[in-house]
Amino acid sequence: MPDAPPLLAVRALGKSVPGPRRLFRHLDLEVGAGELVAIIGESGVGKSTLLNILAGLDEADEGSVAIDGIDLSTLDETARTRLRRERIGFVFQAFHILPYLTLRQNVALPLALVSPDYVAASTRAEEMLEAVGLDGRGDGYARDLSGGELQRVAIARALVHRPALILADEPTGNLDPETAARVLSLFADAVRGNGAAGVMVTHSDASAAIADRVLTLGAEGLVERRGA
Amino acid sequence: MAPEHGLKSGSGLWSGRLGLGWLIAGEWRFHPARFLLTAVAIAVGVALGFAVHLVNGSALASFDGAMRGVSGAAELSVRATSPLGFDERLYPRVARADGVGDASPVLRLDARIGKARLTLLGVDVIRAATVTPSLIGIRPRGPDTGNDTAFDESALFLSRAALTQVGAKIGTRLVVVANGRSVPLRVAGTLPATDESTAVGVMDIAAAQWRFGRLGRIDRLDLALSDRSIAEPALRAILPADAILSTAETQNAQGDALSRAYRVNLDMLALVALLTGGFLVYSAQSLSVVRRQRAFALLRTLGMPRAGIIAAVVIEGLAIGLVGAAAGLAAGYGLAWAALHWFGGDLGAGYFGCSTGRVVIQPGAAIGFFALGLLAAILGSALPARVAARAAPAAALKNAGDVLDPRRPVAWWPAAVLLVAGGAASLLPAIAGLPLFGFLGMALMLAGGVAGVPWFARTLLTPLARRTRGSVPGLLAVRHLHGAPGEAATALCGIVASTALMIAMATMVTSFRGAVDEWLNQVLGADLYLRTTGGATFDPATRTRIAGTPGIARLAFSRQIPLTIAADRPPVSLIARPERGGRDPLLVLIDRGPPVQKNDALPIWVSEPAHRLYGWDPGERITLPIAGRTQFTVAGIWRDYGRQAGAVLIDEGDYQRLTGDDRRDEISATILPGADPAKVARAMTDRLPADLRPQVEAGQPATLRKLALTLFDRSFAVTYLLEAVAILVGLAGVAATMSAQTIAREREFGMLRHLGLTRGQLTRMLATEGAIVGLTGALAGIGLGLVLSQVLIHVINPQSFNWTMTTRIPVDTLIGVATALTGAAAATAMLAGRRATAKSAVQSVREDW
Amino acid sequence: MLRPWALLGWIAAIGVAAPAATPPAPYPVVRPGITLRFPADHGAHPAFRTEWWYVTGWLRTEDGKDLGFQVTFFRTRPPVDPRNPSRFAARQVLFAHAALSDPTTGKLLHGEQAAREGFGLAQARTGDADVAIRDWRLRRAGNGRWTTRVDADGFGLALDFQPTQPPLAQGIGGYSRKGPRPEEASYYYSVPHLRVTGRVRRGGGTIAVTGEAWLDREWSSNYLAPAAQGWDWTGLNFDDGSALMAFRIRRKGGGTVWTGGSLRRADGSMTVFGPNDVAFRPLATWRSKATGALYPVSQELSVRIAGGVQRWRLVPMFAAQELDARRSGLPVYWEGAVRTRGGRGYLELTGYERALEM
Repeated sequence: MPDAPPLLAVRALGKSVPGPRRLFRHLDLEVGAGELVAIIGESGVGKSTLLNILAGLDEADEGSVAIDGIDLSTLDETARTRLRRERIGFVFQAFHILPYLTLRQNVALPLALVSPDYVAASTRAEEMLEAVGLDGRGDGYARDLSGGELQRVAIARALVHRPALILADEPTGNLDPETAARVLSLFADAVRGNGAAGVMVTHSDASAAIADRVLTLGAEGLVERRGA
Repeated sequence: MAPEHGLKSGSGLWSGRLGLGWLIAGEWRFHPARFLLTAVAIAVGVALGFAVHLVNGSALASFDGAMRGVSGAAELSVRATSPLGFDERLYPRVARADGVGDASPVLRLDARIGKARLTLLGVDVIRAATVTPSLIGIRPRGPDTGNDTAFDESALFLSRAALTQVGAKIGTRLVVVANGRSVPLRVAGTLPATDESTAVGVMDIAAAQWRFGRLGRIDRLDLALSDRSIAEPALRAILPADAILSTAETQNAQGDALSRAYRVNLDMLALVALLTGGFLVYSAQSLSVVRRQRAFALLRTLGMPRAGIIAAVVIEGLAIGLVGAAAGLAAGYGLAWAALHWFGGDLGAGYFGCSTGRVVIQPGAAIGFFALGLLAAILGSALPARVAARAAPAAALKNAGDVLDPRRPVAWWPAAVLLVAGGAASLLPAIAGLPLFGFLGMALMLAGGVAGVPWFARTLLTPLARRTRGSVPGLLAVRHLHGAPGEAATALCGIVASTALMIAMATMVTSFRGAVDEWLNQVLGADLYLRTTGGATFDPATRTRIAGTPGIARLAFSRQIPLTIAADRPPVSLIARPERGGRDPLLVLIDRGPPVQKNDALPIWVSEPAHRLYGWDPGERITLPIAGRTQFTVAGIWRDYGRQAGAVLIDEGDYQRLTGDDRRDEISATILPGADPAKVARAMTDRLPADLRPQVEAGQPATLRKLALTLFDRSFAVTYLLEAVAILVGLAGVAATMSAQTIAREREFGMLRHLGLTRGQLTRMLATEGAIVGLTGALAGIGLGLVLSQVLIHVINPQSFNWTMTTRIPVDTLIGVATALTGAAAATAMLAGRRATAKSAVQSVREDW
Repeated sequence: MLRPWALLGWIAAIGVAAPAATPPAPYPVVRPGITLRFPADHGAHPAFRTEWWYVTGWLRTEDGKDLGFQVTFFRTRPPVDPRNPSRFAARQVLFAHAALSDPTTGKLLHGEQAAREGFGLAQARTGDADVAIRDWRLRRAGNGRWTTRVDADGFGLALDFQPTQPPLAQGIGGYSRKGPRPEEASYYYSVPHLRVTGRVRRGGGTIAVTGEAWLDREWSSNYLAPAAQGWDWTGLNFDDGSALMAFRIRRKGGGTVWTGGSLRRADGSMTVFGPNDVAFRPLATWRSKATGALYPVSQELSVRIAGGVQRWRLVPMFAAQELDARRSGLPVYWEGAVRTRGGRGYLELTGYERALEM
């Protein structure tokens, strides 16, 4: 583990859902630059909820989340939105590539939300498409692509604005195992190569294997799994 | 490093404009039809509103022009309250009154030259030169100039319009018919300063008095004032009962008062089309927002602020509004031109006579309607935008479509509150003769009705949804709608709004037409009617001769003249008929005063509009300017749909005794059984003096009734047209929303086909859904429409036109509308469904959006 | 004298040329050999087609300033059907015109009135002079003194005229020819050297005035030759008590149709000018900015008297004495106070804006 200040620092996080059930509590996590952490767990233990809390889309009942040293609880809705826009990248299970934008526009979208500089955004998006092996496909649309390719576009989009934190929710859930393996290694390389902190939620041990650390989410927080 | 992160400042809406632009442009590129359709909906609303307003404005302008043309634009006038005029000896007294600079006596006659009708004015050329110079002819340029016969008694000056209508040239000799007399005159020149479209002729006052049998009487004194504040009280003190003070404003107010309610109602009707357009934008944008829910959620996740989502949708609305409103203004101008060209300024309602105006550009109205169109589009977009922005992005990313729990009850109280508030507003009285609260009430009730649609749909579908048996497609259809009433309601609100308004109008018009028809049947009780035109009359000798025509059982002669009660109101009709003894078929009494005492004032019967306009109640004593001031007792109120300005009925004998006027202008005859009405009519006409014959029209009840109903339909032609457009916009809305909804559910169809549903079953399911949506909309719309029609019938109509009627429900129309809506919804759902299910099932499921 | 044609022109402007449907009662023809009878001839002669009472004169205010004034009443009998019983029938129509020339402002104020006779609003009595339209009036009282009241917009006149000399019959005993045909003539007398006292209202104030005036009385049925373009006329009161009247009727395209006039000396001796005895020669012109018409406002008047020729230079009180009442449908003419050697009077110039169509 590199001895750098953690880009993501989670302290004593707790979250309940309506009703008697509690998802988790006392959850601590630190992720450093260039580190990819996988979180696994049964369905319904709150993996996605944890991810939403890390993204500032949901709020915890207790504890704190700091991204790049910024405590999320000190931010209002607007500032959290801004934080997402500037420092967080997302990869989803269902890809979420907008069908009516070109692939280049899809990749450049996080930049376009920050600056009206079209040339800079396009150039950077083209770089990212090249990085995920889709060079020259920027003018195409989502319908021309396979699932694996779509997810590679999503990875490019997640990294295009050089985020501090990359969150991935079952990034290979919709892909066949071979494609999944290729996409995963690309994802891991991208996270590490960009010096970002990566958090990937999955229920697949095979997927988790690519991570630097694998943590299991349970009612009492995260438990580190060694070996595998 | 915490506080310097700089994340607190600004939402980044402006810096994110590139992304916002991509989002909007992408939507435009992929769904241009949706944008165009919504823009067209706005355009239609704006076009109709603007066109109606322009036409009305132009008509009013030409009416004002006509008024000025005939009145010569005098600042103040003394006018006779009836065509009998007033004593000419008032002239020197008025001329010498304090504050009066000059007075120009005018004799006014409704005249005819050949078939052309015109207003003939007798003026003193000297007085008119200073008071109303526009009523003076110019000297023609020609060899016959060069003498001083300004007072030539055979000289007639015609306005351009009159000259054209008559087809005469300067120098033409022609015969002018007025007040029952034919006088040969010579066209001596034109009246270049009068309004272009006004048919008016001017001749010497002394010659007019003598030749047309009006010696001793004048109709008007146009005044030039040295001090108005002194003149008005001084004049009031000396005016006799048969003359009133009248200004150019009160003259225009007369024309305005008569047609204002009609014009405002048309404006409102046009706004209804705009409102429907607004609803259509709302439906379309709501569905588009639902469809794009996950896209918006993604963008929120990627860091687009809430305001960005709202901005995107509202900017779309703004674009729709700009395009639609601009197109609407252009189309509205074209429509107005066409309407003026083919229907005339009153849109066929007969308010403005034969004047045909040009389109008068009204920048204020243009800006107003543009703004209204924009507002409708923006509001129609802002509401769905707020809903979209409020959705939690994380949840929305995972779920698509309506996230409402089917078990959750739908709120009914907002609808109820709006409906009750609307009902209460409708009960408030009119403001300045306009039923503004009535319209407010209708708007509130409309909003309430639309707000109540989800509840209505849920209530209607619950018993159906409980069913467990039946065909799979039907069950699926019902369950889908039952589970997502919000979505159904979105599709429905445009339909409900336009249907409700259309049904309301149709019910009102049907009731009105039925009432008029029934009234005509009662009123046209005689077998034969003869009436004079162009001011001709039947004198006693002629009447005696006519009475001797074989085949006649009974004759009634009547006289009808306009009587001005108030300077700023159009004159009422004073009708003299044999009223005492014997039932008069004209009199369909709807209220009766106490029996008239022997020593009481003379009885008079007032029409319903007169009763409402002047507040004359049965049994009340009123004073009318007949033969000075005479007291009358209101003996009853009679139904009259013919004279919107009101009418009063007086016994023939009383009338003759009071006024000394022994002339009559209408005959109603009952003929002996077996006699041929046409033959009798011919025999009666033959007994008329030769010069009177061409000035008398004969008619039988059936023809008159048909004519009246034709006029009625003509005056409502524009109403029908506006209605049809509203329903077309509504149907377009149905088509758009149904197809949008269906296409949005592509993945669901793919899933269902995986489960084993055939395409046929899917189509049936969609048809059923469409039919249910259409029927629900039709039922809700009809129900709401019937409620609104009651406001129209019992509030708007009495307050605008001063007549009441009973409700007649146009069952055929209701069934037709319900069928059309159900069919259209089912058909569009099927058509859209065919497209949506055309793709392979696998592709549909895999498709991301 | 010929001035009322200006007013007649107004009727022509608002009226129309068309023969009357019914021939009206014929107008009496002016013939020589009558004797004027007073006071009856001061009053109206309603059978004749036209008639006028025309007063012009110089006034002097208490502080010694000069003013010029003009008051005209004009009667015409249009050719209407005498059988029309209407009270509005235009059996007689009256016009009035008043003007005030003020050299200190260099402006001419004027006002006009017109009405059909009747309704007590306008009438011209017979028997003695009494003609009125609304509150404008000119009458002669039993004591021989004439009075006039005129209340116009911006000015008013309340003047008394005391005759100092007997009436002066123009032409041959009052028969005054206007053209080559004998019926182109009028009955015409003047009363020169009227002593004026009274008040003038101007702007806000009223001032007392005295002065000397000239009354013209003329009635006729027939008019001047169609070839006439307009006329120049002058009436002069000389300080020695003599009075001179001269006119020239100008031909269209230049030249003279007819001239006439008279000189009566203080002792009562008369010289009557014939058609070749009078000449007007322009000395100075003035162009009206309002109408563009060019007027010979200063002229040299030459008359043949007892074998010799006498000349007077007529100098206007000021140039801008044009009456531009086109707004009220009147023709444009120049009517101005003039000075001359040993006397003062009025000069009238018509037909300079365009030919009078009579």
